[in-house]
Amino acid sequence: MTRPTTADRARALLPHVVLLAVVLAAWTAVAASDLVSPSYLTPSPLEVWNAFVRANSDHPIGGGVDRIVRGEENYYLWEHLLASLQRIGLGLVFAVLVGIPLGLLMGVRAIGALLGPYVDFLRSIPPLAYIGFLVAWFGIYDTSKVWLLFLAAFPPIALATLNGVRGVRGDYLDAIRTLGAGRLSTVTQVVLPATLPDILSGLRVAVGFAWTTVVAAELVNGLPGIGGLAYLSGSQNKIALSVACIIVIGLTAIALDLLIRLAERRLAGWRGKD
Amino acid sequence: MTQHEVVVAGLEHEFRSRGGAVRALDRIDLTIAPGELVTLAGPSGCGKSTLLRILAGLTQPTTGTVHVGADPVTAPGADRGVVFQRPTLYPWLDVRANVEIGLKLRGVPKDERRAIAERQLEVVGLADAADRRPYELSGGMQQRAQIARVLANDPDIILMDEPFGALDALTREKLQAELLDLWRRTGKTILFITHSVDEAVYLGSRVLVMSPRPGRIVFDEPARFVRGGELVPTDEVRTLAEFTDLTTRVREAINH
Repeated sequence: MTRPTTADRARALLPHVVLLAVVLAAWTAVAASDLVSPSYLTPSPLEVWNAFVRANSDHPIGGGVDRIVRGEENYYLWEHLLASLQRIGLGLVFAVLVGIPLGLLMGVRAIGALLGPYVDFLRSIPPLAYIGFLVAWFGIYDTSKVWLLFLAAFPPIALATLNGVRGVRGDYLDAIRTLGAGRLSTVTQVVLPATLPDILSGLRVAVGFAWTTVVAAELVNGLPGIGGLAYLSGSQNKIALSVACIIVIGLTAIALDLLIRLAERRLAGWRGKD
Repeated sequence: MTQHEVVVAGLEHEFRSRGGAVRALDRIDLTIAPGELVTLAGPSGCGKSTLLRILAGLTQPTTGTVHVGADPVTAPGADRGVVFQRPTLYPWLDVRANVEIGLKLRGVPKDERRAIAERQLEVVGLADAADRRPYELSGGMQQRAQIARVLANDPDIILMDEPFGALDALTREKLQAELLDLWRRTGKTILFITHSVDEAVYLGSRVLVMSPRPGRIVFDEPARFVRGGELVPTDEVRTLAEFTDLTTRVREAINH
């Protein structure tokens, strides 16, 4: 097989470019027409782009007032995005720290039988159901949101880890024991690496779950935060900005997923080959 | 290195199953002297692998004891290496790291364990494959790597559970000859389980036969082919009349 040349790659990309152009053109046409009124409900792609740029820069507040403001709500859009990412990052770190050991422990049959129903129960709760409760416990600031994301993310990680542990080949464990491993090295040298692909799949589910949750959670006191900004701008009839936020939210989700897939390919490329 | 003999005394083993207890092993008494290559042949399901697992410490017998020297066997240990039927190399490690893993468990410094691994890979003819992943190797190469991993640990006793059973005939014969050479060079104590009569007689310095369930040892004979005070070269063993004769008797013992 020959390596694809630049020309080959450009040719493969062509249909995607064409489709994107068609979508943008249709969008522009709808925005320019009077199909929807009032017309501010249908910002054109260009207006959305301008709102995006404005939200990332210092700009005059407008309306004849001679004042320069910083981004939107005193934060640039990328800072809103970063705030949301920090929240899910923190929630995920706790979810990994609790979920992986919990999943490993549940690999011990008796413990799994005991704790399994509770983890299943927690997983079946839509995370947003916790929000009132968490606000009452931890207040309206970030603590309650990080708790929410932790609660959203740890069950899929724990269950994926458990699934992985149950799938570890018995003779892999026999082999390491006959090579001189005790309990702890059996876990660190065989159980964990053998389970890593499942842990990463669980993490991927958890990240997707946490991202939808954080955006929704920011409806309550969510500034800075990309979900909060999407909601606020919509409720203030800044539709172009709201659409810009929505696009950023979607692209970020795809980027996060891609990142984990990349990690999967690097760390778990052996999966299915043993 | 002082090697110890393996003493199995009054060994019996039962599996609990849905239909009640199934007797797998029945009154096994067996002593394996240091440096012997004992082959154990028998029909599938007769309990050969159970005996091997008990010697390895992976299974606890219902009654009876196993000693290596003065020490009772109660758990697996690096002094008893096991070569499993299905290669158990770890796919997340390259071949070299697989061979090093036993040394790593015992805290051997990195440079030293690397040197040992390279040497053992050379012994089994895999020096060029050190950087590859196990799934990139053929079945025969994987078994070679598994043997190198056990050798790197320098165990007193090597337990081999039908390690060549899944290989094609040519590869199998090649590995048999290599194992025999290896044993003659290193003098390791080896217990080799097989369901092939030819393999048992060719490899063993002593051949055992186990009866169908419940497994008992029903045949136990030396199988050293000596000519003029020297061991017959490995590539000539199969042509000897004594070889054919012993093969016939082992086959009879199995079918008895």
